[in-house]
Amino acid sequence: MSTDDFGDMRTEYGKSLVELGEQDKNVVVLGADTTDSLKTAGFGKKFPERFFNVGIAEANLVSVAAGLAYSGKTSFASTYAIFLPGRCVDQIRNAIAYPSRGDKKGLNVKLVVSHGGLTVGADGGSHQQLEDIAIMRAIPNMRVLIPADSIAVSKLTWTIAQQYGPFYMRMARSKVPIVHNESQDFEIGKGITLRDGSDCTIAACGITVKFALDAAEQLKQEGVSCRVIDCFTVKPIDKEILEKAARETGAIVTCEEHNVLGGFGSAVAEVISETYPVPIKRIGAQDMFGESARDNEIPDLLEKHGITSVNIANMVKEVRSKKQ
Amino acid sequence: MGLNYYQIKKNVLKARKLVIKGTTAAGSGHPGGSFSMAEIMGCLFYKHLKYDTKNPEWEDRDKLILSKGHASPGLFSNMAVSGYFEESKMETLRQFGTILQGHPDLKCPGVEFCGGSLGIGLSYSIGNALAAKLDEKDTRIFTVMGDGETDEGQVWEAAMTAAKYKIDNLTVILDRNFIQQDSYTEKIMPLDEHLESDDLSEMWKDASRWKTGDKWRSFGWNVIEVDGHRIEQISNAITRAKSVKGLPTIIIARTIKGKAVEHMEDNPQWHGKAAKPEFVPIIEEELESQFMISPSIIAGDMTHLENEVKRCVDGRADYIHLDVMDGQFVPNTTFDNEKIKELRPLTVIPFDTHLMINEPVRYVKDYIDAGSDIITVHTEVCDESSFGEIHDLLKSSQVGIGLAINPDTELPTWSEKFIPSLDQLIVMSVIPGKSGQTFIESSHEKIRKLTQTLKDKKFEGYIEADGGVTLDNVGACFTDGARAFVGGNAIIGQNDVRVVIREFRNRILRSRRKLLIKKANELGGTDLVNKWIDLHVVGKKKDELLQISQELGYQ
Repeated sequence: MSTDDFGDMRTEYGKSLVELGEQDKNVVVLGADTTDSLKTAGFGKKFPERFFNVGIAEANLVSVAAGLAYSGKTSFASTYAIFLPGRCVDQIRNAIAYPSRGDKKGLNVKLVVSHGGLTVGADGGSHQQLEDIAIMRAIPNMRVLIPADSIAVSKLTWTIAQQYGPFYMRMARSKVPIVHNESQDFEIGKGITLRDGSDCTIAACGITVKFALDAAEQLKQEGVSCRVIDCFTVKPIDKEILEKAARETGAIVTCEEHNVLGGFGSAVAEVISETYPVPIKRIGAQDMFGESARDNEIPDLLEKHGITSVNIANMVKEVRSKKQ
Repeated sequence: MGLNYYQIKKNVLKARKLVIKGTTAAGSGHPGGSFSMAEIMGCLFYKHLKYDTKNPEWEDRDKLILSKGHASPGLFSNMAVSGYFEESKMETLRQFGTILQGHPDLKCPGVEFCGGSLGIGLSYSIGNALAAKLDEKDTRIFTVMGDGETDEGQVWEAAMTAAKYKIDNLTVILDRNFIQQDSYTEKIMPLDEHLESDDLSEMWKDASRWKTGDKWRSFGWNVIEVDGHRIEQISNAITRAKSVKGLPTIIIARTIKGKAVEHMEDNPQWHGKAAKPEFVPIIEEELESQFMISPSIIAGDMTHLENEVKRCVDGRADYIHLDVMDGQFVPNTTFDNEKIKELRPLTVIPFDTHLMINEPVRYVKDYIDAGSDIITVHTEVCDESSFGEIHDLLKSSQVGIGLAINPDTELPTWSEKFIPSLDQLIVMSVIPGKSGQTFIESSHEKIRKLTQTLKDKKFEGYIEADGGVTLDNVGACFTDGARAFVGGNAIIGQNDVRVVIREFRNRILRSRRKLLIKKANELGGTDLVNKWIDLHVVGKKKDELLQISQELGYQ
């Protein structure tokens, strides 16, 4: 693993879709006037008859996707994060997640979005989706994935195509550091321990996994041994790996590019409080909206919300001090 | 299923009764919107929709998507009638553990869409239609939407999408009942033009104010506008929609919320409220007392029958009575199947063909081919074997089956086995053969007796009074038990057919109201009579009901 490698999640998503489309003629892709940006346009070029751009009409987007899925298609519907969970929670709930027949829980729609979180940057707070995890994980039958890098995106695109039912997968706008090996397997419901440790656990998702690894490295210099878990599968969350971490390390710091209310940190806290209570510290937006930041200023924006490796390291120290 | 006009009507009636059964048992639900779409659902379930109740997930089925999900009783009741589940299941509506959820749900086999949140169904239907095209399936998607529902912006997102993708394997039917939860649509969010008063008839009278169709046309849709309670119009529109290629079709069906129960009609209160159990027997009686008016065109200008048909259409006749006389069974001659064939393209109103001819078994096929919707033959010229042949032929051709008896004839014994499948029994109240005779008084008694006998023999059709029926005796004929009325001179012989048909309806309605008040009195005395009358808050119905009740001495 080289820390200098970056990958583009959207590009990997687009490539995987084309490969999927070649293998499975039931795969259909829908977009809402953001198909170039989401890199789904390539699928559209290759399979124009299975590609539907419904214009700037997200409620329609997800409901058409639901109809296609009801008739046996595997629907991928994509646009920016801010326009799917936030704008279409009703359609996502009632047209995708709710309809169930027998063992089939929900319809076979994959909502794959980009531009999640603060790293959207310059577009500003109106476009920085910080509530999607909370919204989506509260919906029964919906599974929520926050991959950390482009390798994860590429593999998970295949995984969700092959597993029946609704998924929500969030990608970042900008290129992100690669944290996984090409050979890494991604199993829904199973977190990945990227680094072992005994003094504290840092559980992270999305782009913050890299920050967690950096913090752990920094802490190592100070003699603190941190375990780092990539919890890309926010729902279903890996209870086992979290409970084990609580038992073995006695303290947990969570990190996410999301509001700490109802998000990934909340999900971890729910598991830990019911299984093996240990002190927890949640890093993320502290119930605040974002704001504009140019590309070179994004670190400043993240820092304002405490989403940095330095803050993670500080929180590890704080949470360790609360250990019983 | 491919049933004839009459069978569709009968099933619509059954379904309406089940809507009441279910919502009353649940103590809540939406009868108003279930009733406004009752005929629409009837045409879909019993004529146009391709499905298999034994195999609800049959791959080549059509899909019916009820976007106005709150009208679920109107969907479930038809699913019960068509055999997806037992009719008694309707009593579990909205109950804990039932498959008949408050809003349509995939938990119920045969339901294709979890409706309830309005404005989603059209997009969802487009998805299904696109999938059918990808799979090169020769199936159709039928989507029923509410008019209030089109307040939702998503509907118009979907409208654009359907036009963009030329979705011609989708037929949308808009249940334009002019009422949404709070009040009249034109008050809450006008779709046509702002309505100044509560009088919906303003809208109905003035077609120039109907703008809903223009909206859809401007979105690139093929628009067909129909009277949404006329089975023949809805059915014809659905057939036409199928042949339109390259653009989506919407059928705008103008309907009446709560249709068929007077106190529910056009009353926003009945959007989402169940009838109290004490009123159910009265409501059922009312539902069973539907009636039809059938002008007989031979009473008009025989040299311009086309014109007489047009007068019936303009006059809003329920169907058109065609007396075929051969100069043998009766002394006169009128016209034959060739004439009927000529008249057929002029209207979709059902043709009520009455064969007053010898050996009808020899000619019935010609009259089927000419486009009759029901064919009635005389018992006097049939026997069990020839009528059996006629019966089977009509049945397999999806044409209504009628028998007629002359004033001096009783129903022959051989006819008994056919009674349950008869759609109509014509009781001649004049000697057949010529127009302009006076009603034979003893016919009242005859109809009364027949009503009773036939009921015991599982007759589900209409008794049609034919001959000398006028404004003066039509009400009495209704009271006797007749539910279809042929009007010769009394209708076609008048200048303004529309006015006289309306007056016929008013007279019959008055008799029906009397019948229902008597029923209420029987069931619960003056107290129930008054409570029932109090339900009639829209228009001037209450005043007339009070007057009738006074005349009956119930006040």
